[in-house]
Amino acid sequence: MIHIVTAENTARYADALEQAWRLRHRVFVEEKGWSDLARPDGREIDGFDDAHALHMLAIEAGTVVGYQRMLPTTRPYLLTEVLSELCEVEPPRSPHVWEWTRYAVERGHRDRGRILSPVGSALLTGIVEWGLESGVDAIVIEMNPLWLLRLVQLHFRVTPLGLPRPIAGEDTVAVSAAFDARTLARLRAVRGDDASVLSARPPRPLRLAS
Amino acid sequence: MLPKLVDHTYDLFRSFDRASTVEDLNACLVRAVARFGVESTFAGVIPLPGIGRSAQAAHVLIDRTPQGWTDRYFRVGHLDRDPTIRRLTTDATPFLWSEIEPLYREDPAARRVMDEAGDFRLRQGFTVPLVTLDGRVAGFSFGAERLDLSPELRGMLHLIASYVFGRSLVLSHVADEGGGRPPVRLTPREREALQWAAAGKSEWEIGTLMAISEHGAEKHLRSVHRKLGAGSRTHAVAEALRRGLIT
Repeated sequence: MIHIVTAENTARYADALEQAWRLRHRVFVEEKGWSDLARPDGREIDGFDDAHALHMLAIEAGTVVGYQRMLPTTRPYLLTEVLSELCEVEPPRSPHVWEWTRYAVERGHRDRGRILSPVGSALLTGIVEWGLESGVDAIVIEMNPLWLLRLVQLHFRVTPLGLPRPIAGEDTVAVSAAFDARTLARLRAVRGDDASVLSARPPRPLRLAS
Repeated sequence: MLPKLVDHTYDLFRSFDRASTVEDLNACLVRAVARFGVESTFAGVIPLPGIGRSAQAAHVLIDRTPQGWTDRYFRVGHLDRDPTIRRLTTDATPFLWSEIEPLYREDPAARRVMDEAGDFRLRQGFTVPLVTLDGRVAGFSFGAERLDLSPELRGMLHLIASYVFGRSLVLSHVADEGGGRPPVRLTPREREALQWAAAGKSEWEIGTLMAISEHGAEKHLRSVHRKLGAGSRTHAVAEALRRGLIT
């Protein structure tokens, strides 16, 4: 199940968020070697983890096995502040567009070979279900270009925001990817499961403005 | 000032979206990349080792290469020796063919593939490794007699290759499910011509085998392409195999 954690329900998810910071540290610092993010306490937290961030946690039997963070594009976000070299056009700023960052899946639940794992596809489905319920219809992604084919196959309508460039030794491209009910249908077909992945209906409406 | 490449890429993505058949998509792609000196494009899923040669050819999704090259490529078994294939199954980053020269410097069979490609105006090229949603490795190659690609253009071709391959898969998936369209029916002559094509025969050979002219064989195959919405000979064979029209 994918659990959505915002400023409103943080208290109930204190333990899960603690696991999420550590998962992020394991994946981004220890595995990917993004040493700028390293912290002696093993919890990867940055300035964007504020009251405006929306965290999605994949939790199985009380353990956080996957994570991603959504940031509103109506405020400064990773692409505009940290990765602006990837963006050659006017960066999206809209209550209907959020940025997808820090996608991480626990090692034992990782893609077999390079295939999208069940936890990975649940996280992606979580974004689309949440978006369709909350008036969000596109996400900004900074990603390895290998993701582009997957997104097209999943009926995301992709717009390039720049050309691929090496970031920390890995080719990275910024795109915005719009989705609709067809995207959800396709994801559910790929998953072989029509049930919602969200643990609860997202609150509606979300803080879309501000 | 020239429009920024990223804006051009955006326009191309939207024109790819408007293509409603694989054939239209291929035509759109060929026009788009010709501006950058690309003469040939070729893309497909990499077959698993050990399958037959006509089954290998059925993995081709896009084939816009000089006449005779693909037929020869599969007939003589180049797939197993092609150093670009070897490279793209071991490393997912795009590469210029000139960059992998060390891979085949000491390997005469691999070198022969590259030399023969040169004889078909595929002397220089750029290959983009891809991985489909279900984990199959694919390759998308751009070639020409002479290809001069800046890093920015390579980045753009990387995006174009991924996008077009994805759209091709989506369109052939839609075609598979029928989408309410009537099933394709081939005439007995069309089926016979295609069956020979699947066996790697040239149009001239097919004409001889069917006791008709080369032009007659070509006409049957063209009609098959139209009915299947296929962008190439190999794509037509792949479609027909998938639909069970030939064996």
